[in-house]
Amino acid sequence: MKVLVPVKRVVDFNVKVRVKPDGTGVDLANVKMSMNPFDEIAVEEAIRLKEQGKASEIVCVSIGPAQAAETIRTALAMGADRGILVKHDDTVEPLAVAKILKAVVDAEKPGLVILGKQAIDDDCNQTGQMLAALLGWPQGTFASKITIESDAIQVTREVDGGLQTVKLKMPTVVTTDLRLNEPRYASLPNIMKAKKKPIEDKTPADYGVEVAPRLKVLKTTEPAGRKAGVKVGSPAELVDKLKSAGVL
Amino acid sequence: MNLAATRRAGTAPELLQQAADAVGAVEALLAEAAAEQRARLAPDGKLSMARFDREQHAVHGLAWLATYVEALRQLSAYAGRIAEAGRLGPTEEMLVRAGLGEYLAQVFGGIPMSQSEFVRLPALGLDEERIEARRTPAVKALIADGTAPELRARLIEAIAAQEGAAGAGDPGLDETLKAMRNEMRRFAEAEVVPHAHGWHLRNEYIPLATIEKMSALGVFALTIPEQFGGLGLGKEYMCVVSEELSRGYIGVGSLGTRSEIAAELILSGGTPAQQQKWLPKIASGECLPTAVFTEPNTGSDLASLKTRAVREGGVYRIYGAKTWITHPVRADLMTLLVRTDPKQPGYQGLSMLLAEKPRGSDADPFPAPGMSGGEIEVLGYRGMKEFEIGFDGFEVPVENLLGGVEGQGFKQLMQTFEAARIQTAARAVGVAQSALELALRYAKERVQFGKPILSFPRVADKIVSMATEIMIARQLTYHAAREKDLGRRCDLEAGMAKLLAARVAWAAADNAVQIHGGNGFALEYPVSRVLCDARILSIFEGAAEIQAQVIARRLLDGSN
Repeated sequence: MKVLVPVKRVVDFNVKVRVKPDGTGVDLANVKMSMNPFDEIAVEEAIRLKEQGKASEIVCVSIGPAQAAETIRTALAMGADRGILVKHDDTVEPLAVAKILKAVVDAEKPGLVILGKQAIDDDCNQTGQMLAALLGWPQGTFASKITIESDAIQVTREVDGGLQTVKLKMPTVVTTDLRLNEPRYASLPNIMKAKKKPIEDKTPADYGVEVAPRLKVLKTTEPAGRKAGVKVGSPAELVDKLKSAGVL
Repeated sequence: MNLAATRRAGTAPELLQQAADAVGAVEALLAEAAAEQRARLAPDGKLSMARFDREQHAVHGLAWLATYVEALRQLSAYAGRIAEAGRLGPTEEMLVRAGLGEYLAQVFGGIPMSQSEFVRLPALGLDEERIEARRTPAVKALIADGTAPELRARLIEAIAAQEGAAGAGDPGLDETLKAMRNEMRRFAEAEVVPHAHGWHLRNEYIPLATIEKMSALGVFALTIPEQFGGLGLGKEYMCVVSEELSRGYIGVGSLGTRSEIAAELILSGGTPAQQQKWLPKIASGECLPTAVFTEPNTGSDLASLKTRAVREGGVYRIYGAKTWITHPVRADLMTLLVRTDPKQPGYQGLSMLLAEKPRGSDADPFPAPGMSGGEIEVLGYRGMKEFEIGFDGFEVPVENLLGGVEGQGFKQLMQTFEAARIQTAARAVGVAQSALELALRYAKERVQFGKPILSFPRVADKIVSMATEIMIARQLTYHAAREKDLGRRCDLEAGMAKLLAARVAWAAADNAVQIHGGNGFALEYPVSRVLCDARILSIFEGAAEIQAQVIARRLLDGSN
């Protein structure tokens, strides 16, 4: 079974993002970029499936600027087999990404697409679901455990108030949650080996997908700063305050 | 930034031109100073060692001047390289400007060889007129621009905004090195940083489990040739890996040092059988080596080494005392420098043995006949533990004589100095980087007089100076590594990188503690450990004074 893992290049989770002074977006100049952490979990899960003999090939695909090749290279160093870079410099919205991924799925015919539940930059949480809909495949979102049985997959989903386990027919789309696994480090020898693994260059046009955004970002602003609280002297005073605030 | 300075500083291409001009000026200054010293110390063409030692201030000053010239050359080469690659962003450009300005100002004003010793150009035999002739318009412009408070104010903003990135400014590495840096940083952040301070405070060993993870990542295999199970990569890779691991904890970054020394020794001096036997095990991390050179009365002056190896049939019996042995208890292999020929009192009588030993424990550190030792408790650089070791009849099979020929020990050891110094420079850069990051975080979080202390220029200036000097030391270190990778002699470059990086690390750690105020003096805060760890860097692997001595001798008569 072939596994397709879409990976996104995002601002590193350690970086404190800054809004551009003109409010048109986030300042990306000189900012460290990394693979979306949820996608890293997806890559790790695919590698584990391959190590268990349940997957035969892992293909990573990224849609983004030329530097997204570095993100694919990271996945290859972790253990993926080859990459596809769909080059596009401007913003791509989840629907456009899902359409491109559908085209990639049509060409590659994987048995499983596993991807992050959301990207930590725009937090859309849409691509996996849209892709499943476009493909007409079942979807197991927010996975914290997956088990492959011959032609089906059991996905334990993190839902409000607990865990839900669903059994889905393959092929399927799975989106990863935080607790699915802990991604490995790419070893130094594997970083060297990844240099020799192929990355295919494509464009959205190759897949006949129109990627122009349908949404317009009007303004980007910093979250409002938290105001200082009040110190109370005694439990009685606290109760008074809560009463006057109408919560008690 | 004032208008005059802006006009003088100009655009990036102008900056590169000015940098080239200024480097030319200080190169000329160095040539003149070296000629003066040569005339003074070698009047008849032969260096007088008596005068050389008497004139140490000037002689070592010359070494420091040469180090600064090389630093300026490498900083401007770096600027040129990344400008060409389209990666000279505002932060990089400001770091280059600040670095050029500050180091040029120090060349003409006084170079700190330590906190309390400054070498000034007249001490090197240069009169005012000749100094003034080298203070060219480019030099003056770069100093004015690079030392302006406005530049520092903008630079600290850029550095503060990039917190959490891989360091202040693009270090100018290719994609593979960048990927390795990222992975090493991820590893260190998760597996080392949360534990390092505890290991230090409790004077504990770095857990073997951590060392096993490093082995699995290929850390010890990096520079060993592929035929021996290594990755066959160059010293630049070693620098990046050592730097990131040392940023996590100097002890972790130093585990590779002993492997590097042993591997270099065996690669350059060992017989094919010795290479086959040891190198794959060192590469896999299965064999942890330790370097056993220093003796109680023999530190920098190795030629006076006393430990004896007496041949008895198929074995050497070792008698003598060794000290400052790092990580010997858990080591499997000692690269042991001994005197095999007592009739040869100098370098010629020394040989290197590959002495196997069983791993010990805290309760029984040296479970081998004829070997005993005690721990030397130390301020910092813990995690591997330092020992003094006594040998009384300890046996080493004759076939474990490195290279199979006696009397080669010192020569063999010398061949490892370049790699060991480059690696040590990289460790120093990593330690300095950790100081910078701790200082920056604290300065952003600590609020006094109603604002984060980072907004006070005296605090910010310290961080700017750390970032600038780290970039300089880093570029000098990478340069030495690249020279080594090209197969060129680079003892001079390696020595300069180590000399400068060690001072930079100490200054960074000291300033980071200062920024922490009283909290920096509290054992609870990790910066207190970084201070202790940084202190060793200008002592081991060639003390700063020895390093300057070696550089100066190379400069003045081309010998060691």
